Amino acid sequence: MMPATQSGTGNREPGTGNALVHADGVSKWYGQVSGLNNVTVSIPPGVTGLLGPNGAGKSTFMKLMTGQLKPSQGTIRVLGEPIWGNPEVFARIGFCPEQDAFYDRMTGLEWVTALVRLNGLNDAEADAAAKRAIDRVDLMEAANKKIGAYSKGMRQRIKLAQALVHDPELLILDEPLTGMDPIMRRKTIRLIKDWARAGKHIIVSSHILHEIESMTSNILLINNGRIVAEGNVHQIRDLIDTHPHTVYVRGANPRALARQFLTEDDVLSMKFEDDAVVVETARPDSFYARLTELAASGEAGQIDEVQSPDDNLQAVFKYLVKQ
Amino acid sequence: MPIHDQGYQRYLGTRSAIGRSWQVMTRAGVMSVITKRVFIGMMLWAWAPFVVRAVQIYVSEAFAQASFLAAKGETFREFLDQQGLFVFFVTIYVGAGLIANDRRANAMQLYLSKPMTSAEYIAGKLAILCIFLTGVTFLPAMMLLLTQAILAGNLTFIRNNIYLVPAITLYSAALVLLASTTMLALSSMSKSSRFVAVMYAGLFFFTLALFNALRGITGTSAFAWLAPTAALQQLGDVIFRLQPRYQLSPALAALAVIVLIAGSIVILMRRVRGVEIVT
Repeated sequence: MMPATQSGTGNREPGTGNALVHADGVSKWYGQVSGLNNVTVSIPPGVTGLLGPNGAGKSTFMKLMTGQLKPSQGTIRVLGEPIWGNPEVFARIGFCPEQDAFYDRMTGLEWVTALVRLNGLNDAEADAAAKRAIDRVDLMEAANKKIGAYSKGMRQRIKLAQALVHDPELLILDEPLTGMDPIMRRKTIRLIKDWARAGKHIIVSSHILHEIESMTSNILLINNGRIVAEGNVHQIRDLIDTHPHTVYVRGANPRALARQFLTEDDVLSMKFEDDAVVVETARPDSFYARLTELAASGEAGQIDEVQSPDDNLQAVFKYLVKQ
Repeated sequence: MPIHDQGYQRYLGTRSAIGRSWQVMTRAGVMSVITKRVFIGMMLWAWAPFVVRAVQIYVSEAFAQASFLAAKGETFREFLDQQGLFVFFVTIYVGAGLIANDRRANAMQLYLSKPMTSAEYIAGKLAILCIFLTGVTFLPAMMLLLTQAILAGNLTFIRNNIYLVPAITLYSAALVLLASTTMLALSSMSKSSRFVAVMYAGLFFFTLALFNALRGITGTSAFAWLAPTAALQQLGDVIFRLQPRYQLSPALAALAVIVLIAGSIVILMRRVRGVEIVT
């Protein structure tokens, strides 16, 4: 895990190598408002999650990647080529926007067919490709219904269908799981993983960390228009382990537990909560090892529950993006 | 039982060359309009003057007493002037929603994430309007010229008035381009096609009213450049070798038309983008 420097450049090699997307000093201003601030980053092949709270700059970054926005400063290359004003690269990309972008009076099939024609397919091929894509997102039974009658989840799926209908190398999905029910969400996550296994590269954004975590371990954290950190979940945890780590331990005798914890210098602070003690440790590895021994020996009574809010990605994210 | 591959099948067919997306856009737009009954009625109505003129030519050719109805050079100028009414209605009916509806449906961000530039998008939309407007200006005017030759049984009239071919072409082109670009520019500025229609009608009538008011006050028609329709009429008179109706230099009239077309294209290039930027 590599936290980005304030300028967003980090200390990585700037060469594009086999990067899917390479941004070099990219900034985007909307008038006096900064959407993206001096971002230099290389996104590797595979599935990459773009994480950040609402308004962090995820959509701006995605629109820069899809060539819909021109960087105010810097350059951005996608699949090895400059993306701005380069429609040949657009043909190799599938984009699923966050916002709805439909004509409600059209059926799902008509809409996907109309869009894939823009990729140069003739009528018969466009129709066949649209049906395949709609089938792939499990929406065939509603293909001939008007989009106006679609639920939010169905709308998301038909947007996914138009993104993959022309068989792109790179899929850029902006909050694709928004509005889906849990079953559809699981199906869609499985679909995204299948596409990745089939050789497609995917950049997917979300502000919900467990969604991304279920799709990939490779993430980019973005906040206030800057890349805060990049890497995989394990690297994130390594990084977080060098910083205070909170552990919640619930047991039969919290005071006895606290006494045992204070015998070593790996504990920074403690506080009591009902039947539990909440410990802040600077060395989680040694603390967990001690805790395991303590539970096995029973010296401090029975230990019923151990939780670490820092063990989930949400806490990592909160830590990394805190001001 | 055969087991089918349930996985995603890669597309192995051919794709059109990049740069032809505007044709897809135009085709889709044309197809969506020509199936509407209101539009079909409007087009039939727009061709009624052609039928009337054709009958006049027939009568003038068939009956010597009706020779006063015979086609002259001015006939075609008057005919195109009359068609201005239909140009107005077709422009509003077809053009008001061309970009406004895409903006309302948020569709532009998807269109422009496909292999299509904003210039192609504009060209595609412009072509829709140009096709229909040509269908109520250039096409009936040229058909009328042809009808005259057929009914007369010779090419004498055309030979004597050969300037009519380029005149009809040039004037129709100016009329169609001015109406199309202006309407598209307005359509790119709103998400409501109704509002666009009102804006276009407002622009049409307000500029004409302003020109007429200034004409009434100053006693000169030199301000015709203020009203696009008046400037175009002045240009039309020159193109058809007629006495110009206003006290306005033809060059200034042409400049007014060119500036309006160019201004509309600039607006379109600025407004047509995948992401709407509000600053």
